[in-house]
Amino acid sequence: MRGRRWEALLWLGPSLALIAGVVFYPAVALVRASLGRYSITGVLSGFVGAENYARLLEQPALPTVLANTAVWVAAVVGVSVVVSLGLAQLLHQAFPGRWLVRAALIVPWAASLIMTAKLFVWIYDYYFGALNHLLTSLGVLAGPVDWLGEDSTVMGAMIAVGIFVSLPFTTYVLLAGLASIPGEVYEAARVDGASTWTAYRLVTLPLLKPALLVAVVLNVIYVFNSFPIVWTLNDRNPGFGHDTMITYMYKIAFKSALRDVGLAAALGVVNVALILLAVVVYLKTVRWEEAGA
Amino acid sequence: MTLRRRAGWLAVVAVAAALVAACDRGPRGGPSITVVIAEYSKDHTRPFWQALAEQYTTQGGGKVDLRIIDWNSIDQQVSTMIQNNQPPDVLNLNSFSSYARDGLLYPADDVLSPATKDDFLESFARGGQYKGTLYGLPILSSARAFFYNRDLFAKAGIAAPPKTWDEFVQAAKKIQALGGGAIGYALPLGPEEAQAEWSIWMWNGGGDWKAGDGWAINSEANARTLTFLADLANRHRVTQVNPGKTNRTDSAFQLFKDGKVGMVIGFSPLAKQLDAERKVDYGVAEMPTSLAKSATLGVEDYLMAFKKKDNREAVKKFLDLYYQPDNITKWITAEGFLPVTKSGLERMRADAKLKPYLDALPNARLVPTTDPAWDRVKLDVQQNIGLAVQPGGNPRQVLDQLQRNAVAAAAAR
Repeated sequence: MRGRRWEALLWLGPSLALIAGVVFYPAVALVRASLGRYSITGVLSGFVGAENYARLLEQPALPTVLANTAVWVAAVVGVSVVVSLGLAQLLHQAFPGRWLVRAALIVPWAASLIMTAKLFVWIYDYYFGALNHLLTSLGVLAGPVDWLGEDSTVMGAMIAVGIFVSLPFTTYVLLAGLASIPGEVYEAARVDGASTWTAYRLVTLPLLKPALLVAVVLNVIYVFNSFPIVWTLNDRNPGFGHDTMITYMYKIAFKSALRDVGLAAALGVVNVALILLAVVVYLKTVRWEEAGA
Repeated sequence: MTLRRRAGWLAVVAVAAALVAACDRGPRGGPSITVVIAEYSKDHTRPFWQALAEQYTTQGGGKVDLRIIDWNSIDQQVSTMIQNNQPPDVLNLNSFSSYARDGLLYPADDVLSPATKDDFLESFARGGQYKGTLYGLPILSSARAFFYNRDLFAKAGIAAPPKTWDEFVQAAKKIQALGGGAIGYALPLGPEEAQAEWSIWMWNGGGDWKAGDGWAINSEANARTLTFLADLANRHRVTQVNPGKTNRTDSAFQLFKDGKVGMVIGFSPLAKQLDAERKVDYGVAEMPTSLAKSATLGVEDYLMAFKKKDNREAVKKFLDLYYQPDNITKWITAEGFLPVTKSGLERMRADAKLKPYLDALPNARLVPTTDPAWDRVKLDVQQNIGLAVQPGGNPRQVLDQLQRNAVAAAAAR
């Protein structure tokens, strides 16, 4: 019996080591860094307790960045889920060539985020971009728009890309949810005289709740932590006017005059806390237990 | 059962082998050294340094752990190495004085032979000093120059490149008036390299970064110059759209290479690309100025040697190898940059194409990299100066804020 236990540990070892190395150690290192004072070169000169957290609250850009993050996450996740509901419904129907459409939907998911973001930088370009060309030749716009430079359009442009790359995953989660709903319940609804819309509202949506929950929670986490899109599309803009918490953290650590690893680590800890809080609040409001039952 | 057990042992052996490999200090001939180099170009950087590392090893040096890192992430990666107490032995970067201030570097005398040290051009040797001691060893240099599109100049009826700021504004207006998407001047004040563009205009407007030992970013002259730039964008409207939100490489240069732009501040690698593409007929001239004598920006990048146990001899050997005239000139030529040594200058004089830059080099001014506060000031300028030239921007206010931050950075240890 003893030998077997040792063997079990050996088999679990690699995954345990992986979790310790990839999850546990970085978390500890992050908290430790958030308590330290670092010189601009990265030399640790001592520990300062909660000072970095206090300084974080004094940063003038923080309210803007928080608001940006809320808009970014809410818009990308909200629109992605609504559009994906429709897409999933469509892909759930049998039609010729469905496999092709399903496969095509995976493409934005499979492509690297940086490549996708770079591609959109060109699409949005003021002088060479396809979008301005299209909209001006259709007569929608009188002249080109600097989508990534105008303060009024940057966030919208980034959100559109965020939605584009979130759709595949969200659609597939909901598609899996749809596939798990037995056909009999629709038969019963029809016998009771429910219209298609009523059936969707009263049968499909409630039964889709577990899948919707998964889609929302995972997307909130992914979108909140998304770095490449905001970083790439916003790299031309001075200041912190269009940053989210994640790009703000990177700029604090390496790209702004602050250049402070300790302060950035404190923001990193705050980010983790924020995302946990958001998920818990969300699950409480939608009453996770009932949905899971 | 036996299969499982065997697999378990295999795993143990594999882990042990990996550990042994990690501890291997390389072949005889000295300790191995880590060399971190910024990637100046995909084509030339790695091949040159790879070959140099091999040359070093075959000449009896130890193993070289060579890391080529792109400019976007090099600050982050070096910072991480230092946080983890594993600094490189040799590092190439565009700043050095913060590292010298933190006591991480060897002074040049410890790691260079006197002949190598004496070969540095005077101005670049001065640009690598922290508190009077040379720590930042010049690795290569570049000088900015004023590029203009000859075709657009001819079409707009401009006879010669502008010499004064008035002539410059007139020329820009004439080109802009050509219509068809023509842009007078491409002004990149976005975060990528705003400090370079700003330096050149600032100096030619009679201002400077510092006055004596103190920062002078919000001087009268500088406020006038930044207002002049904001006027180019918002009053005369002779720049590309949103100049405060335009980066140099992927935007301003791109527009010039496409033939849309009349004038831009460029450097020798841009000339190299233009020559290769043969799309734009361009000229290179002195920067228009409001002074008697035009000023341009020289950029010096550095090599530095990190103090680590028992690495001094190895580092010295490696650096002396790089600074052999054949080696350093081969690389600088391949990348299209300019020399930092007297012997290199002599060798490169033969290239007629480099003449305008080599002529500018002795008079080129450097940004104050010797002041550790500069490392923060530079980032602050990159992140914020663009706001001044946006519609509704306030140049005076932006400069005042930059000055306050610079003073604070200088006071902080």
